[in-house]
Amino acid sequence: MQPKKVLVVDDSKLIHKMFEVMLRSYALVHAMDGREGLERLHEHPDIDLILLDINMPSMNGFEFLEEVKRSEAFTEVPVIIVSTEGKDQDTVRGLQAGAAAYIKKPFRNEEILKLIERLPPMASD
Amino acid sequence: MKELVAELQKVIDKAAKLIREMQARSPEEASNTEQGAAEVGGDIDQLKSRLAEAETDLQETTDRMVEVEHQRGRLMSLYVATCELHETLDLDEVKRTVGEIAIELLGADSFALLLRQGETDGYEVAVSRRTVGVADGLFVGPDYTGGDPMVDEALVDGVLRTTTEEGSHALAVVPLAIKGTILGALVILKLLDHKASLTSEDRDLLDLLAAHAASALFAAQLFVATDRKLRTLEDLVEVVRGG
Repeated sequence: MQPKKVLVVDDSKLIHKMFEVMLRSYALVHAMDGREGLERLHEHPDIDLILLDINMPSMNGFEFLEEVKRSEAFTEVPVIIVSTEGKDQDTVRGLQAGAAAYIKKPFRNEEILKLIERLPPMASD
Repeated sequence: MKELVAELQKVIDKAAKLIREMQARSPEEASNTEQGAAEVGGDIDQLKSRLAEAETDLQETTDRMVEVEHQRGRLMSLYVATCELHETLDLDEVKRTVGEIAIELLGADSFALLLRQGETDGYEVAVSRRTVGVADGLFVGPDYTGGDPMVDEALVDGVLRTTTEEGSHALAVVPLAIKGTILGALVILKLLDHKASLTSEDRDLLDLLAAHAASALFAAQLFVATDRKLRTLEDLVEVVRGG
């Protein structure tokens, strides 16, 4: 799957900038926390990948993920969690909640790029 | 590689043709064909050897590509970190960026950014994360008054330290100096649990921080001081005009 529009939900400006440089060929939509992420998602229903942090103010990554997976419109959108939280229980929780993958920060850029390239096609593709 | 495979296919076809001919011919003719088959066998061995060489070359090229990709990613991180540090003259933004680099790119779980307080010899804990209960509370703030030998030495000699010293709680100390003047230091106290240690690549990032964070902080501090003076002058002008 080659996503065209990617939603980045992270409270770090540095990470947003990093993804901007890394994912130059994709259209990026930015949100600084889960609540803003949901708003952006409804504004851009054609988003086909979400890169999600966990620790954020005003709705954390897990809460955001649960909302997304509950929503009929976005349940198929793959979510990659990219977080400093490295405990096994966090990884399990994220994957059980429907994340396609869980990457620990600090990450290697090529790790994310390869993961994106290998995402299975969405039902709508 | 494709050419080799095509050549190999041709030899296989030739061998198959020879086998068919052997089956169809008389014993005398078969003897000639056997000779031809032996030649084909030699060709196959040669091609196998060339194929093995090509496979080795391919593996080396793949390894080099992976390394190049990795280096590209590393340089990208350094580029983004530099851009972010110099993007603003807002002192709080610069401090926040230093903190984000420490967490997001270095994998620091506990750290403190110490900044010199004006023209004094004292240092404030400008930004910190998870310093309570760590390092005997030396970096909880609001001030750092000394006590960690590795940090104290770095604040004097301006030398980057990445190896823990006896009696110190720091994993790394990055002095922030500009033209020989030490503005402060970034003290890394603990890494995230899933990050075993600082790598040689992290060292590049620490070097970058030592150089660029210092100049970004200096520029922002200068801007704050100049802005303050400007406002004071403007207020004075207003007073004079009003009077």
